[in-house]
Amino acid sequence: MSSESATLVIGLRDLQYRSRRFLVAVGVAALVFGVAVAIDGIKRNLQNEPGLVVGSFNADTWVVRAGNSSPFTTTAVLPESVAGELAATPGVRTARPVVIGRLTVEGSGRQNANLIGYVPAVGAGPKIVAGRAPRRVGEVAVGGGLDVEVGNDVQTTAGRFRVVGLVQGERYNAGAPTLFMTVAGAQQAVLGGRPLVMGVAVTGHPTALPAGTTATTNSVAAADLALTIKNATRTIDFVALLSWVIAAGVIGAITYLSAIERTRDFAVLRATGATSSVIVGGLLVQSLLLAVIASLLSVPLALVLRYGMPLPVKLSAGSVVQILLVGIVVGVLASAAAIRRAVRVDPALAFGER
Amino acid sequence: MSDVTIRDLTIEYSSGGYAVRPFDRFSLELRSGELVVLLGASGCGKTTLLSVLASLLTPTSGSVRVDDTEVTTLSGTALTEYRRRGVGVVFQGFNLIPSLTAAENIEIPMRVAGVSRSAAQARATELLVALDLADRSTHRPRQLSGGQQQRVAIARALAMDPPLIVADEPTASLDYLQAEGVITRLRLLAAPGRIVIIATHDERLLPLADRVVELTPRISPYDRPPERNTLDPGEYLFHQGDQGQLVYEVDEGVIEIVRHRMDGSEELLQVLEPGGYFGELSPMFGLPRAASARARETTVVTGYNLRDFRHRRGADLHTKDGALDN
Repeated sequence: MSSESATLVIGLRDLQYRSRRFLVAVGVAALVFGVAVAIDGIKRNLQNEPGLVVGSFNADTWVVRAGNSSPFTTTAVLPESVAGELAATPGVRTARPVVIGRLTVEGSGRQNANLIGYVPAVGAGPKIVAGRAPRRVGEVAVGGGLDVEVGNDVQTTAGRFRVVGLVQGERYNAGAPTLFMTVAGAQQAVLGGRPLVMGVAVTGHPTALPAGTTATTNSVAAADLALTIKNATRTIDFVALLSWVIAAGVIGAITYLSAIERTRDFAVLRATGATSSVIVGGLLVQSLLLAVIASLLSVPLALVLRYGMPLPVKLSAGSVVQILLVGIVVGVLASAAAIRRAVRVDPALAFGER
Repeated sequence: MSDVTIRDLTIEYSSGGYAVRPFDRFSLELRSGELVVLLGASGCGKTTLLSVLASLLTPTSGSVRVDDTEVTTLSGTALTEYRRRGVGVVFQGFNLIPSLTAAENIEIPMRVAGVSRSAAQARATELLVALDLADRSTHRPRQLSGGQQQRVAIARALAMDPPLIVADEPTASLDYLQAEGVITRLRLLAAPGRIVIIATHDERLLPLADRVVELTPRISPYDRPPERNTLDPGEYLFHQGDQGQLVYEVDEGVIEIVRHRMDGSEELLQVLEPGGYFGELSPMFGLPRAASARARETTVVTGYNLRDFRHRRGADLHTKDGALDN
């Protein structure tokens, strides 16, 4: 048996000896990690939203007013007739106008909502999971985030709408729910009924564009939409970083406390020929084990925490791998102070009384 | 064959900023198979000497050789190897690692030295049986009595079968029944090829010793005749750290009592003129001089043993204002 296994024995036995403190530390660190995982899941979801919304229209190209890059973030409008012009252009299979707007849903759960006026078609537009797509003015299909059922009415700042369908997900602008209407319905709601649109979702590749318009891609449109949540995701990143630091602090404090209490043990080990690597290894084993167990426990904790979060939390295998890697880094960094203290212990202290 | 040779060992360290020198050109030779007891009062430097022998402390100067190994200059791998295989230490208060079982406490020094797990376990079992602890192998230190813990500590020191065992106050925390078991086993350890050095002030150990080294000399404070000394300006009567036997009275001139700091500077504690006396605590309590006495000008002092001095001064000895701690 080599000195490496002695390192393991020393580290693990001490954890066993101080198991109650170890469990408390694991619990606290796991909770902090869990919060970090949950808010990271929110960030992942927010970052995922624009691509899903833009992608749900199955467009190859978006045509918007010249000088703009996305129909979802502009107030610049085009005549609805542009859609007809595009449909007649060679290379175009379909050209469907979209109206984008914002409104406020009234009631006890007053909140902002997105509005999308579109032309329902098979394979284009949001996926209806209950009821049907809106067919006439005054009807809406509602995405996640609003507590309504098919047949309910939704009172908004743009009027009252009857819910005829439910859509899965389809939240954007930092998790705001979305109301889907017919183009005419949306024009009435946000454009005073004028025949204007924010863009046209085109399948195929037009050989020419109507005057005063420009073409943009799904990825550009999604990236443009993601700009609206840039500061929110930065804030989440910062809070997540703070959570890692707090978790490192918890683990570091426990490991350091252990190092203080074990000063005499380290002196005895050094006096009996243990090298610094044996002592450092023992502390690293403890710190890493604490961090890795806490990071593994944080995933189920985050799954529980997400029920208390107002925004959707997206967890994936990547989240688990990320938290494990972060746990290892946090464990190593957290043990630095304890290691620094342990390797400086004077072996002559072993002659003192415990 | 293992011998220990200590030559001109000087150890000086700082205590509260002042220089303390428990050993000043100390020499000693020990032979294989000896059980040597270092006897002395608390603070006389017993543990310090053991620390040097265990290569846990580097002396200020001098040489300590264990067989052919010069212990004082070891470093790096050689130092680690010496601590692993050259010396076994029994610490005061046992100092077992509380999270490990008795067997693991014995195994750890072997395992950090690269001994295989099975060999370390076999050796630990052998030692536990030899020390009547076979049924305690899985117990943690807090589940063992003081005597059992000390026997585990002895087993740990023996794990690598070192030629030198040093034990610091091995019976200090034990009642007489437990002490007897520990003393008996320490005696058995001293056999050809091994030296056992025990630092203690427990005189129960003396009958077992092959040699007793008294670090606090037993000098009668009553049997020296008065000594008259004439000192030149700047000449020292005694130095801080010297053993003291006499109390001095100033007959003529001026004596300065100074204490030396580690940084080389000195602190003037007192100036004594004719009629003043100094240096009574060292012979009274068997302690080294805590300060130095130096003549400021040509000075004559007379030194008296404690009995003569008491006779001369009577109650004055006990009522002296600002009695010096020297």
